[in-house]
Amino acid sequence: MSLPFLRLGSVTKRYGHRTAVDDVSLDVHVGESVVILGPSGCGKTTVLRLIAGLERPDMGEIWLDGRVVAQAGRNLSPPHERRLGYVFQDLALWPHLTVGESLDFVMGSAAVPRTERAKRTREILTLVRIDTLADRHPHELSGGEQQRAALARALVGRPQLLLLDEPFSSLDPDLRKTLRAELDSLQHALELTTVYVTHDREDAAALANRIVEMRQGGITTVREIAREKRRS
Amino acid sequence: MIGIAVAAFALFCGLPLAYMLAQSGTTGATYAALLLDARQRALLYNTAALGTGTALLATLIGAPLGLALARVVVPFKPALRIALAAPVLLPPYVTGLAWVYLGGSAGIVASVMGRDVISEWTYSLPGAILVLSLVFYPLSMLATEVAMRRVETRLEEAALVVASPGRVLRRITLPLVAPSVAAAALVIFVLAVSEFGVPGLLRVRVFTTEVFTAFAALYDFSRATILTLPLLGLSILVAAVAALLVGERLVVTRRGLGSAQLIAFEGWSGRASAAAACVLAIALVAPLAVLTREALAVPSVAAVVQGSREAIGNSLTLAALGATVVTLIAVWLGYARARARRRFGVVADVLFVVLFAVPSTVVGVGLIGVWNRAGVFGRLYGTDGMLLLVYLARFLPVAALALAAGIRYVPTSHEEAAAVGGAGWWRTMIRIVLPQVKLALLATWILVFILAFGELGASILVAPPGEATLPIRIYTIIANAPPAHVAALALLQSVVVLSPLVLLAFVMTAWRTR
Repeated sequence: MSLPFLRLGSVTKRYGHRTAVDDVSLDVHVGESVVILGPSGCGKTTVLRLIAGLERPDMGEIWLDGRVVAQAGRNLSPPHERRLGYVFQDLALWPHLTVGESLDFVMGSAAVPRTERAKRTREILTLVRIDTLADRHPHELSGGEQQRAALARALVGRPQLLLLDEPFSSLDPDLRKTLRAELDSLQHALELTTVYVTHDREDAAALANRIVEMRQGGITTVREIAREKRRS
Repeated sequence: MIGIAVAAFALFCGLPLAYMLAQSGTTGATYAALLLDARQRALLYNTAALGTGTALLATLIGAPLGLALARVVVPFKPALRIALAAPVLLPPYVTGLAWVYLGGSAGIVASVMGRDVISEWTYSLPGAILVLSLVFYPLSMLATEVAMRRVETRLEEAALVVASPGRVLRRITLPLVAPSVAAAALVIFVLAVSEFGVPGLLRVRVFTTEVFTAFAALYDFSRATILTLPLLGLSILVAAVAALLVGERLVVTRRGLGSAQLIAFEGWSGRASAAAACVLAIALVAPLAVLTREALAVPSVAAVVQGSREAIGNSLTLAALGATVVTLIAVWLGYARARARRRFGVVADVLFVVLFAVPSTVVGVGLIGVWNRAGVFGRLYGTDGMLLLVYLARFLPVAALALAAGIRYVPTSHEEAAAVGGAGWWRTMIRIVLPQVKLALLATWILVFILAFGELGASILVAPPGEATLPIRIYTIIANAPPAHVAALALLQSVVVLSPLVLLAFVMTAWRTR
């Protein structure tokens, strides 16, 4: 079996006396879609933040693309060098930038040449179906449009790993279904490797190759979902 | 109760200002003549340069410190914050005095170097800008920190995933806090152009010193009035812009923002601590050390204190009395503001900020105009009561703002629950609302006490003959008493100002942990 793209090796994270993530080990291979499922407060968001480098593990190791990026109390590689896309639960769209400017900021950070940025902006916005909204600020977008803008921002830097933290939690059920289907087809079209965190079993069933259930900071069960079944 | 408070507010704060504004209508012709001569233009240039320079330099020092306090791990942060904020509470002329002793023609630098090399710089516009920046930078620092804490850290994290910390700071964080930083800079501008003590001490001619000369040396009241008008207009305009920039945020802050320290900024710990230590050394430690060194030369501390006993006693009593009266009135104004509807609230904020921005000399001249007349009003003129009026006029707005911010934290549902339970309005206030804002009440009292204890610009105009307060005493003996004597009094002034601050820090820690 090939080396996993992402590996968490016995990772533990504590806040004071509370253990948020307790000895978690997890392998994610290229092209896989792993869903971490669990009730609020079970530590699933902390796992994402650890992968992104926004938190430091107290114990254990995190490997990304064959390199150790974090190790027992130290982050060896800062978040922006990990080539990630991150969709936050509250989206965290920058209120002072338009959709286009946000994408430009991301590409500028990744040193994408100016000449290429406009083309890529068009491409990605078409992909998430908000190609007419590049000049809007976040507060001028509907809930679903904001969601798409956040997804575009996470994808425009061509990340090697996409992290999603309950991105659909604030949407009504119909819109949620639509966006879920869109994300599913995006995953396949772009062959994305994703780690998706949710408390919603429907989300999990619809998007996962593998469902990892968490409770009180630890992994309880892991279920493989047959690819064919998921596609139906 | 609120009605009485509003009436008091109109009488004490509104009336002197209204008087000054009315004056501007009647003196148009003389005004034009006064403003157009070359001397006036120089005055205008100096004032504008002093304000702009101070606003820029103070922001340059304060904003990065505020950023560090909000985002970077620095050791002893709560204590450090209070120490870094302390210089703004020292009366500016005390800091100015220390710099004169350091860099004046007979100062420490001159005596060490063996000749006078820098006094030309000390007594200059850049000198005054430097001193005032070292006094006012905490305002920028605190405003920046509060604004930073209000920014969702998630917004920065979303950027940190793709960009380096420096780039995130420049492109995401700074634009988000820019309105607050700009508003603080504007407020500093107003305070700098309103300052009387420092330019007076460093012999920089600006509107405030000119007003004082016209009034105290030439006894030309109408000239003094006319001279204050450009200053008044400028202050009102700039303060209104600042208040509008910040809008609702002046009073509304979200609570419990948690730890906003991002691990991405960890690497900056050392640099931030070093910068804070540097600023602290220059803005607080150095002036106090210089004053102490000068004061040590005094033959008998007891004699100095004895000589100014009346002024010291007066200052303490009046400041304490002033702080009490101001807090008692401001609490109702603050309550009215906190419970006001949005639109009205913004208007009230602008009004409070504008009134606080009225330069002290303008307040002084306005109070004289209103109260120096025959009849009931005149009875008060020439007594220490005038000083209480100064404190009310100058500090009621800022006290009301501080208390409004505190009262906003008490949910309206608490009052509704008390009302449903059968408690009357008065009982609800005393038993439910006020106990929840006791820290804000104490902090406001201390703030007004400190401000009142250091008040010079308006006091020196309206005070009855004799040595009414310590600042007036210090300011008047600078010219003819030995430096050691003056330094000892200035040091005493600093100690009185800084000790309630230490007390407040202790009380805050005790009440928080309980």
